[in-house]
Amino acid sequence: MTDIHPADLSGDQRDALQEIANIGMGQAGASIAKIWGEFVQLSVPCIAHLDRQNIPAMLARFVGDETVHAVRQAFHGQFRGEVIVVFSAGRGDQLAALMGYDEADSVEEQELLLDVANILVGACLGGIAETLAADIGFSAPSVMGLDVPPSQLIPPDELVSGRALFLKVRFTLEKKSFASHLVVLMPADEFAVLGAALDKFIGAI
Amino acid sequence: MSGPFSPALLEFIVDRVEVGIFAVDRDCHIVLWNRFMALHSQQSEATVLGRNLFDCFPELPRKWLERKIESVFILKNYAFTSWEQRPFLFRFQHNRPITGGVDAMRQNCTFLPQKGSSGEVELVCVTLVDFTDTAMFQTQLTAAITELEKEKRAQQELIGKLEDTQNQLIQSEKLAAVGQLAAGVAHEINNPIGFVNSNLASLERYLRDLFSLLAIYEKAEPRLAELALLASIQEAKAAIDYAFLREDSSALIVESREGLNRVKRIVQDLKAFARIDESSLQLADLHNCLDSTLAVLASDLRDKAEIVREYAALPLIECMPAQLNQVFMNLLTNAQQAIVERGRITLRTGCEGNMVWAEIGDSGIGIPAANLTRIFEPFFTTKAVGAGQGLGLSVAYSIIARHQGRIEVSCAAGQGAVFRIWLPVQRQAADGS
Repeated sequence: MTDIHPADLSGDQRDALQEIANIGMGQAGASIAKIWGEFVQLSVPCIAHLDRQNIPAMLARFVGDETVHAVRQAFHGQFRGEVIVVFSAGRGDQLAALMGYDEADSVEEQELLLDVANILVGACLGGIAETLAADIGFSAPSVMGLDVPPSQLIPPDELVSGRALFLKVRFTLEKKSFASHLVVLMPADEFAVLGAALDKFIGAI
Repeated sequence: MSGPFSPALLEFIVDRVEVGIFAVDRDCHIVLWNRFMALHSQQSEATVLGRNLFDCFPELPRKWLERKIESVFILKNYAFTSWEQRPFLFRFQHNRPITGGVDAMRQNCTFLPQKGSSGEVELVCVTLVDFTDTAMFQTQLTAAITELEKEKRAQQELIGKLEDTQNQLIQSEKLAAVGQLAAGVAHEINNPIGFVNSNLASLERYLRDLFSLLAIYEKAEPRLAELALLASIQEAKAAIDYAFLREDSSALIVESREGLNRVKRIVQDLKAFARIDESSLQLADLHNCLDSTLAVLASDLRDKAEIVREYAALPLIECMPAQLNQVFMNLLTNAQQAIVERGRITLRTGCEGNMVWAEIGDSGIGIPAANLTRIFEPFFTTKAVGAGQGLGLSVAYSIIARHQGRIEVSCAAGQGAVFRIWLPVQRQAADGS
């Protein structure tokens, strides 16, 4: 998974992306705290290159064995990719009040997951895009799976072969037992554009 | 936006496009309200512009929507709603006034941050797309898939039932074939058994007479002392062990008669099995059948098992009680033989719809899984030679089948066997028997 591949980002580029992601998460945390009035913690992003076939195993490694709910959302513009937000099953009620729901039934819980995922994705990726002066847009999020084991979120035969960039952040609400994982996935054909933007960023400092 | 677009063209597009477009400022005051919104909400641009969104539309979910709009201002990012989770934001009439099918227009909404020169979000622009047709199509599709899955399950159930029926059919075909054979054999055996039996009775009488005659002769033996004849008589008596012969003869007769009785019983079983003796249908109480059978077996059961009765209230059923007695007799005999030292035999009854059931369970050695499919086969037995002919359960099976009922067996590992008999309260006339 960590072997060097010619298409992958260079060491410098990766360091720069790590730095930018760190800053982006800081901004994202501040923005989310402003919306919900709650302190949130975003872990230091973990960045890796891997073959796409290994994505399910990687997800399972980070998220654990318990069943989860997951939402996917695509981003497009200067960079293209998909974000998967993974929630521990049955913790939605913790967020209902924050999002302005009185009592979430199962359909509302799905909308709640979509809303929360949208905010997390927008905050985290928005921060990164802003630092890179990149213009990106988002598609509407959709439910990927409810109550499924992490390893089964993506059926392996649906994965296109090739390399991917994997960026994972863990998100926790400080005063509540709520945690989720946000996984950004970018296909290898985006590495060149991303690499160029990172080079520009490195050159500017 | 740059390009050769006149503001008038852009204004035209925003106003006339078949998408709802409106915009609000930070205080949720409406600053843009296109024609789509005006037509569907029946509130003109003039009446809503400058007013608070929630004052104009009090039915909107205020708390949730305010937070959503606020998050777009703060995060400078898109937000969405989808008809799948939230069918609509505004309750608009749908596009099917004639064909109907839904209560209101299904909507997908996108909340767009409009940033000013400072980089801060000044307005949130909302687009609202009519998804009614897609939603209805997808709902129908989901319903169709659910229906298909239901049918698939029903078919699988049916296939299972077919397999069961086929097994039963094979079973009853086997039984029918064996039944015919048994009927022939029973008929053939009955005649010789008849004359052997009566001959045996005569022979017994003759022997008795002969021995009493010999007894008189024996009394004359002392008088024969002077004759050389006595020595040869005593020699002959010793040679044939006369004393033993006299004693054993009657034992042999008794054993032979027992053997014949056994053959007779087998023939009777075969007859019952082959439906030679058809008794008449009558209304009877299943509990009476059970209790009378228990009474017959009382002496055998007493030392072996505690009898537990759990009887429910049962209606009288149309049946051939003598035959049912035979079934219970066979099952109870098996139950008793399955118990090694001492155990329990539980009799339960119950009623479900048009069927009644009786259950005989024992705490015995149980039936190995491999044998469960064979126990109703004629002549299949695991009992020691002489202890059973392997006809009991197949006789029971055919009697129950004749009653339009069924017999089930269950046996958990390491526990005794439970036989359950299902019988209809009333037989169906179509059977013709």
